[in-house]
Amino acid sequence: MDSATQERPPHTPVAAPLAGPVPAAPPDRTPRTGRLPDWLSGWSIEQRVLAGFGLVFAGILVISVVSYRNTSVVVENSRLDSRSHDLIQLLGSIQEALVAAESGHRRYLVTGDESYLKAHQALAEQMPEYTRYLHALVGGETEQQERLTRLESLIKQQLDIEADAIKRRTELGAEAVRHLALPGVAKRELDTIHHLIGDLENRERQSARARVLESASSTRNTIALLGLGALLQLVLLGSVYYLIHHDITARRRVAAELRRQGELLQAANKELEAFSYSVSHDLRAPLRHIDGYAALLAKTAGESLNDKAQRYLQTISDSAKQMGQLIDDLLVFSRMGRQEMLRSTVNLNQLVKTVIHDLRLDLQGKAISWTIGSLPEVPGDPAMLRQVFMNLLSNAVKFTATRPEPRIEIGATQEAPGEVTVFVRDNGVGFDMQYVNKLFGVFQRLHRNDEFEGTGIGLANVRRIIHRHGGRTWAEGAIDRGATFYLSLPMKRIAS
Amino acid sequence: MTTVKPIVLAEDNPRDAELALAAMEEHHIADKVVVCHDGAEVLDYLYCRGPYKSRECGNPVVVFLDLKMPKVDGIEVLRTIKNDANLKPIPVVMLTSSREERDLAQSYALGANAYVVKPVEFQQFISAVKELGVFWGVINEPPPEGTESAA
Repeated sequence: MDSATQERPPHTPVAAPLAGPVPAAPPDRTPRTGRLPDWLSGWSIEQRVLAGFGLVFAGILVISVVSYRNTSVVVENSRLDSRSHDLIQLLGSIQEALVAAESGHRRYLVTGDESYLKAHQALAEQMPEYTRYLHALVGGETEQQERLTRLESLIKQQLDIEADAIKRRTELGAEAVRHLALPGVAKRELDTIHHLIGDLENRERQSARARVLESASSTRNTIALLGLGALLQLVLLGSVYYLIHHDITARRRVAAELRRQGELLQAANKELEAFSYSVSHDLRAPLRHIDGYAALLAKTAGESLNDKAQRYLQTISDSAKQMGQLIDDLLVFSRMGRQEMLRSTVNLNQLVKTVIHDLRLDLQGKAISWTIGSLPEVPGDPAMLRQVFMNLLSNAVKFTATRPEPRIEIGATQEAPGEVTVFVRDNGVGFDMQYVNKLFGVFQRLHRNDEFEGTGIGLANVRRIIHRHGGRTWAEGAIDRGATFYLSLPMKRIAS
Repeated sequence: MTTVKPIVLAEDNPRDAELALAAMEEHHIADKVVVCHDGAEVLDYLYCRGPYKSRECGNPVVVFLDLKMPKVDGIEVLRTIKNDANLKPIPVVMLTSSREERDLAQSYALGANAYVVKPVEFQQFISAVKELGVFWGVINEPPPEGTESAA
């Protein structure tokens, strides 16, 4: 009849974790939207986005922790509820068993039929088990534990009294216990036991009611919290979106501005191209006419002209030719700036050798002592770099022409990683260092035309080409002590 | 082997034209030269229309074309010549001041037979024009007349 109770596995009490008060709601940091505050506008977009996502993450974290704790409380309460329910059932079973045992033992006292003792014996046997279950189910509440202890001792007392009466009936017969049989030996204890069990049950029911209230409030709290969290995240996401949108708008504006500038630059470039085309075509025609008509005049009237007049004609002719040369040089210079750069690898050793070979034709057998060091391979435009060395080496040849023993040295050093410095050194006429800044300028010359020929465009071309390759040019020299021209070139390809 | 067929010189600048004629004079081919002062006139000549309506039709032995001319420029004239089956066989020599890569490339792409940059120096100019005149006007064998109608 109490098999249901017996088969129920004993509950192992789980240390009840934090059933403390509900943690405080997350900090109500409402992010600002609309105009950016001053301290925020100083941040980069990455920092802003990071901060935004950080806030979202923190919000999610806080809400997750609080919700977890609330849910734990609810789960724990439901566990406690099921334990209380078990306890109440067990107490009911024990009560039934006690009543059955008491009435059974009274019948035995009257009739002497031992079959009536079964309930009493079963209870006495099972009592230790019941006690263990009770202790497992009652939990940590002191008041209930005291009640339980009292209950145990009362039950024990009851059973002892019954056992005593049974013993006397067995040994001394029905007469000895007749006065006990009808009222029962332990009616009073039984009442007390009933009372105590009632108390125990009441207390458990009270606790259960309190837990129901607590669970309900926890659940309400969690729902509110999740709602708040969702709202918070929406707001944070909104502001992150705003930040990104704000930045994208700014970027678009900058891109549009860049595009506009690019178009302007392209237009300016086109204009410049048209200009140099015009120079190329239109400026040369009158020069050709000056020279042509001077020649025709010399031919037609040459014999009737005196020497002075013929020299004048010659000067007109020479000047026209010189201006033609200047225009050609200027066009080359302008083309160097506009021309698309080829991207290949240039073996400077080979390049320098070719240039020297080409120059030898102009040397007219003049002996120059060349010293060529080991030169590297560099990325660049072969034709442009050839122009550079053509200019530098023909300069060196030109300015050593007056020396009895002209010497020209070409070499390379590596002073910075990823960059090579090439130099061209001669023992020529040199230059005054105070004019070094004029050296690489367009049409800048440090020598008179009757000393050394030239239009003054060579070094300007050198500088422009080297700049386009991502390098630098500079020079050292002293009057009558030669000059050294340096250029640096990156060893790695640069984005043009 | 001297032909009686004319040489067309398209040159808007009268001085350049005069200098060119002076150069050709040295080789006695100046009298064969027809000077046109703009691209439209060249086309008028080639198609025997306008002022050249009454000329005896037939292709010139060579056309010297300046690039930059009023009304119709040299490139446009070149394009018209090389797109016309009848005119296509005429050798066209670009004779210009421009050394621009773009002009060179475009001229050859359109089918120019030669490209000569006018030198500033008169002596060079004279020898260039003279050589051109002699080569195309005297040495070079022009395409037979039949080619024009057959093409």
